[in-house]
Amino acid sequence: MTFSLIGRCARTGRLGLGITTFSLAVGGRCEGVAANVGVCKTQAFPNRTNDPLGIKLMAEGYVPAKVMAMFAANDSEHDYRQIAIMDREGRIAAHTGGGCRGWAGHKEGADCVAFGNGLVGPQVLDGMIQGFMTRPEDALEYRLMRAIEGGRDAGGQGTADEHRPERSAAIKVVDRLDYPEVDVRVDVHPTAVAELRRVLEEFKLYEAFYRGRGKDPSKAIPQDEFAKQLEAKRRRA
Amino acid sequence: MTFTLLARCPRTGQVGIGIATYSITVGLYCNGLRGNVGATMTQAFVNQGNNPLGLRLLAKGFLPAHVMSELQANDPYFEYRQIAVIDRNGRLAAYSGPKNRGWSGHVTGDGYVAMGNVLAGPAVVEAMAKAYDAAAALSFERRLLAAIEAGRDAGGQVGNDGHLPERSAAVMVYGDYDHAELDLRVDLHDTAIEELRRAFEEYELYRGYYRERGKNPRAAIPQSEFVAQLQRQQEAAQ
Repeated sequence: MTFSLIGRCARTGRLGLGITTFSLAVGGRCEGVAANVGVCKTQAFPNRTNDPLGIKLMAEGYVPAKVMAMFAANDSEHDYRQIAIMDREGRIAAHTGGGCRGWAGHKEGADCVAFGNGLVGPQVLDGMIQGFMTRPEDALEYRLMRAIEGGRDAGGQGTADEHRPERSAAIKVVDRLDYPEVDVRVDVHPTAVAELRRVLEEFKLYEAFYRGRGKDPSKAIPQDEFAKQLEAKRRRA
Repeated sequence: MTFTLLARCPRTGQVGIGIATYSITVGLYCNGLRGNVGATMTQAFVNQGNNPLGLRLLAKGFLPAHVMSELQANDPYFEYRQIAVIDRNGRLAAYSGPKNRGWSGHVTGDGYVAMGNVLAGPAVVEAMAKAYDAAAALSFERRLLAAIEAGRDAGGQVGNDGHLPERSAAVMVYGDYDHAELDLRVDLHDTAIEELRRAFEEYELYRGYYRERGKNPRAAIPQSEFVAQLQRQQEAAQ
């Protein structure tokens, strides 16, 4: 049980993944996000070696559809996996194995693919894509955040009788460099999507400060001073 | 302002990091670990290009001391960085730049570096090393957690206006695979190390279940059933 959206910003070429689930620490199992290569995420009953393999195959030049065919050939339990792949050009392949539990499926939208299992129904995928499309001009991390909020608000995980909370969530965005531009996580929390929104908003306040002090430390103010300035701004607002 | 223990486990050959800091989302910066290659971490004023470059140099076969000299030659602001590099044999290099702020320094031991900056003093890194050594009988991840808890208890970080809380923390372990064996984070919290301990103990209960259901989906029980079993076990233990 998980719902995820892989998205690409058509304006900048940035790639990212937004994900949330009942399972704990899902962000620790999202290795398949690589700048200038693509995004690959295996969920439901995950084969942990798929995502690093998928990134290597895309880096070799294979297209997502071919990568998916290679996954199928490489895995006796492919039928239990749910997998979505997007390359840096926005090409998509998705697979929802018949062995996935609960309502499970995937759906493509503009520059995105939503996929989930153990969900209340297809409306969750629609909610995610709508969330992603709400403000296409925004930074990709905000669009991914709205996607998982949209999935949650459309009912999220569970059945008609029983809702399952989101206990972990993550957003990862890569641009051109080797390391992620945004990588925020909530690993164990009773309302992980709401908590992830709080973490993301706080991270965005610090993002430029952190980047700037690393690039030119000689001009950086101490962080406790920066935090005090933030607090003063919050009080004025 | 950060305190970190970066290590190679002499027993398992895994590499790992335990880290806590006043900065938020520190786990974002811990991208310098790879099984069968080694581990590296740059902190204080971070050069985010260092960890990926350092790992590639280790993978090519360069020694940690040489990797460090390459990072130095590649960075006009090297003196602002605090860096540890460990290879898969446990050889290591460490550097605390003179332009780190506050008290900054490191100690090294058998396959590990304890390092930090903007700290209460040398007692913090010494306590981390001591706790890591003392926990030799525990699992690697528990040794890493014990180290950062000891760093916190020895006074942790001290800024211009006194003690600074740990607002984010992480523990990560890489073994034989391309993916992490453990990658657990607290990104924004008032007492991030306590929260990381809580998250770790909870996650430990699920770890075997998560691993198995991926490897053998046909035999996997639904997670809701697993949770109910856990609850029954916890009730029975009380």
